[in-house]
Amino acid sequence: MMKTSAEVNLLLLLLVFTLHVKGMRYSPPGKPALTRCRSPEKETFTCWWESGSDGGLPTTHALFYRKENSEAVYECPDYRTAGENSCFFNKNNTSIWVSYNITVVASNALGSTFSDPVDIDVVYIVKPNHPEMVTVTVLEDKGWPFLRVSWEPPHKADTRSGWITLIYELRVKLEEENDWEMHLAGQQKMFNIFSLRSGGTYLVQVRCKPDHGFWSEWSSTSYIKVPDYIQREKPMWVLITCFCAFIFLILTWLLHMNGHSLKDFILPPVPGPKIRGFDKQLLKNGKSDEIFSSLVVSGFPPTTSPNCEDLLVEYLEVYVPEEQELMEESKDLHDICLKSEGCTSDSDSGRGSCDSHTLLMDKFREAKEEKRQRDQEKSRTGTEDQRQQKDWEEEGLTYAYEDMVSPNISSGRVETWPSLFSPLPQYSSSRHSQKSSLEKAKKHCFSDSLFPPGSTSFSLDQGGQTTMEAIRSSNREFSLRIKQPHLLHSHTQARCQLQAHSEVNISSIGCKQALGGLRSPAPHSAEYVEVQRVNEENTVLLQPVESGHGHIDGCSQLPLGKDYSRVQGVDRYNRLLLKGEVPQEGDCLYDYQDMTGDGTENCYTSSSVPSIQKPTACIHTVIMGHDEMVLAENGYIDTLTARTLPNY
Amino acid sequence: MTMTTVIQRAVWVLFLWPYLLTCSLPLDCREDHGSFSRCPSISQEKLLDRVIQHAELIYRVSEESCSLFEEMFVPFPLQLQRNQAGYACITKTLPIPSSKSEIQQISDKWLLHSVLMLVQSWIEPLVYLQATLDRYDGAPDMLLNKTKWVSEKLISLEQGVVVLIKKMLNEGMTTTAYSEQGLLQFDGQPEMLESVMRDYTLLSCFKKDAHKMEILLKLLKCRQTDTYNCA
Repeated sequence: MMKTSAEVNLLLLLLVFTLHVKGMRYSPPGKPALTRCRSPEKETFTCWWESGSDGGLPTTHALFYRKENSEAVYECPDYRTAGENSCFFNKNNTSIWVSYNITVVASNALGSTFSDPVDIDVVYIVKPNHPEMVTVTVLEDKGWPFLRVSWEPPHKADTRSGWITLIYELRVKLEEENDWEMHLAGQQKMFNIFSLRSGGTYLVQVRCKPDHGFWSEWSSTSYIKVPDYIQREKPMWVLITCFCAFIFLILTWLLHMNGHSLKDFILPPVPGPKIRGFDKQLLKNGKSDEIFSSLVVSGFPPTTSPNCEDLLVEYLEVYVPEEQELMEESKDLHDICLKSEGCTSDSDSGRGSCDSHTLLMDKFREAKEEKRQRDQEKSRTGTEDQRQQKDWEEEGLTYAYEDMVSPNISSGRVETWPSLFSPLPQYSSSRHSQKSSLEKAKKHCFSDSLFPPGSTSFSLDQGGQTTMEAIRSSNREFSLRIKQPHLLHSHTQARCQLQAHSEVNISSIGCKQALGGLRSPAPHSAEYVEVQRVNEENTVLLQPVESGHGHIDGCSQLPLGKDYSRVQGVDRYNRLLLKGEVPQEGDCLYDYQDMTGDGTENCYTSSSVPSIQKPTACIHTVIMGHDEMVLAENGYIDTLTARTLPNY
Repeated sequence: MTMTTVIQRAVWVLFLWPYLLTCSLPLDCREDHGSFSRCPSISQEKLLDRVIQHAELIYRVSEESCSLFEEMFVPFPLQLQRNQAGYACITKTLPIPSSKSEIQQISDKWLLHSVLMLVQSWIEPLVYLQATLDRYDGAPDMLLNKTKWVSEKLISLEQGVVVLIKKMLNEGMTTTAYSEQGLLQFDGQPEMLESVMRDYTLLSCFKKDAHKMEILLKLLKCRQTDTYNCA
C-alpha cells in the first residue's frame, strides 16, 4: 500500500516535473458554462455546455443535477446521444413541473472547476421540431386561385393527447421578392392564402411553438407556381384603348375648334364670279342663256364679217428701240404682221379661223423672224413689251382688279409672248428668252386646242382667240377670268377681261387676232384700247376706244365692231400703230409705242377691250422710254401689255 | 293593494301562465329529483371541453399576469431564478404526477381528483394575492383585473370539475368552503423585496399548476375519446 501510494506520488511528481521541465504551464481547467437546455416534446431534454480553457491538460466534464424536492445529486445519464458536450435526459429521467438544478464540472489533472448552477423546468424549455409534411396546393375559388397550405406537427410532439398544444405560423413570399408575409395559423393545421400574383412562384414555410416555449425552426421551403389566370395582354389593351380614346377626343375637340379654317384649307372656297355688275344669281339659276346674255355686250360682235387677214393679227410687237431701229423694225414687224397668214376668220364658228396647229406654225415662223429682230433690240423690246403689257394690264387693273393679275399676269405675259417678248429682267438674255418664249409660244399654241372655241372669255377674232387661248393656257389661273364674259366688254368688268386679254394677247406672237373675234356664243363686241400715250414713265396709256371717240391719228372713232387687232407698225416716235380693221373706215394707222426693254418685238393681239365702253381711258402705264403715246384707235391693246405695268 | 294592482297582476298571470311552469335552474341541477328532470343537462364531452377551455384560459391569463408582475416589481437579477428564495410552491406536497409516464399510469379517477385538489388549493391563495396586489403602489389595473378574473374563473372551474367527477365517477363532492382566513397571512409590508419575491413565487407556482390542470384535463379527454392511442 505504501508502495503503491509512494509510486503514485512519484509518478505524479515525475509528471509534474517533466511537464515543468518542458516549460509548459498547466492550470486547472477553466469554468465551463451551460449554454442551453432544450426539450423537443416535453418528455426528454438535452443540455449543452461549453468548456472553458482546459489548462493545457486533458479535461473531462461531468454534469450533475439535483431535482427540486430532493437533495440527491445525480449525474448525467447520457453524454453521447446528443453529441459533444451535451447531456441527454431520457423519458425516465425527465420530470416536468419540477425544477432541475444542473451543474457542469470540468476537471483535469490539476483540479476541477464547477460551473454556475442553472435551474430549469422542462415545461419552459420546450422547443419543438419544425412541422412536417408541408404541402401546398393551388385551389380555385370562383375562378380565382388560392394556395392551401397543410402540414403535420412534428412526429415527436404528442399533440393528439393534448400533452403539447402547438400553435403554428407560416410565411409566404414570392420568389423574386425579399420580404416574407407572416400568417398566424393558431392550432389549425391548414391555411389558405389568397390574392396571388398570376404566374408567380411562391415560397412557403411553417413553424410551430407550444403555448409555453420557443418557436421551432422553419420547415423546409415548399415551392408552388401559380398558374396564369390573368391575361397579360388585357391590361395593355385596355391602356391602349383608353389612350386612343383620349387622343381621339382631343382631335375631335381640335377639329371642332378649328373646323372652319380646316375646311377652308381642304376645300378652298370656289371663287365666285367677280364681274362687276354681274348678278351671281344668274349663275345660280343655271340658265346659260341668261348668263351669256348678261355677259354679252351688245353690239360687240362685228356685224360685218371681217376678213381673216384683217382680223388676225399675228403679233404685236411693242418695243422701244432707237428710232431708226424702230422704223426698221416697225417695217419688219409690219411686214411680218402682214405675213401672217393661214387663218381665215370665222367669226361664226367661235373658234380660231385657223386650226391651232396651223396657227402654231405661223407663230413659230413669226417667232423665228422676230427672234432675229429681237436680237437687235433685246432689252429695249423687252422693256417695251413689258411696258406695253403693263400698260394694258394696268388698264385692266385700273378698271377693276388691281391686285388680281398683276405680277402673275406680267409673268404670264412674258411667258405668253414667246417670241416677241423676252422676259423682262432678262434683258441680256434675250435670245434665251426668245427661245423660251418661243417655247412658250409653242406651249400656248398647243394650248389653243385646250380651250373650247366657244369660250366666251375672249372676244378676239379667231386668231386672236387662239392666241388668247394659247395665252390662256399659260395662264390657267387667269383662264377663268379670261373666259369670263366680262371680257365681252359690256361692263366695267371688261377691264379684267382686258387684263386677261392682254395676257393672252401678249402670248400670241404672230398670232392673228381678230380684233373683232371675241369668242363667245353671243355676238360679242370688240372693245379695243387705244394707246393713248406714253407717259414719262414709259408707260403706254391705253384708252378705250369708243364710238365717237376722237383719236389722234384719225381713226376717229371706233365703233363697236371695229377690230383693232392689227399692228401696223411702229412709228418713229415709238408709237404703236394699230390697225383698225374696219372695212368702212379703212385702216387707220395707229401709233404704237415702242417698247423698250427687252428686245423682243411684241405683237399684241388685241383682245376685246372691255374698256372701250368706258369713257375713261384705259390707262396702262407701260414703262417705256418714250413719252410719246401711241394711240390706237382701232387697235386694241393686249391684256398682256396691260400687264407690263405691274411688272415695275 | 288596490283593486287595480290586483287586476294587473292577475292579467299578467293569465298572460304568462305557461311560463310559470318553467324556472331557471342552476346548471348543476340535481338529477335525483325524480322524473321531472327539466334540468337541462349537458353532455359529458361538452362539459369536459368546457372545463378544458377554462383551464386553458386560466393558464394563459396567469402566464400574462406573472410576466406583468415580473416586469413591474421583480428586480432583473432575480427574475431568472425561480424558487430561489426558498419559497416552495404550496402545492408541492400534493401528489401530482410529474412526468408523462407517471400520468399514463394513473387512472381517470386520480386525474380528476388531482385536478380538483389543485383547483381547490389555489382558490384561497388567489384571493390573498388579489388583496396583496391591491395594496401595491402603482400596480397596473390590467394586472389586478387579470388576477381578479383568474380567481373568479378558478371557482367556476372547480364547479365544473365537481360536476365532471359526479358524471364520470358518480361521486358526490363538495365544493370548497371559503374561509375568511386563508392559509397565508398578511405579513410584512408589501413592496419589500421579500414580499415581492413571495408574491412572485406565488404567481409562478400558480402558473405552473394551471398548466398542470390543463395537461391533466387534456389527457383525460384523450382517454375518453381514444383510449388506445393516447399516451
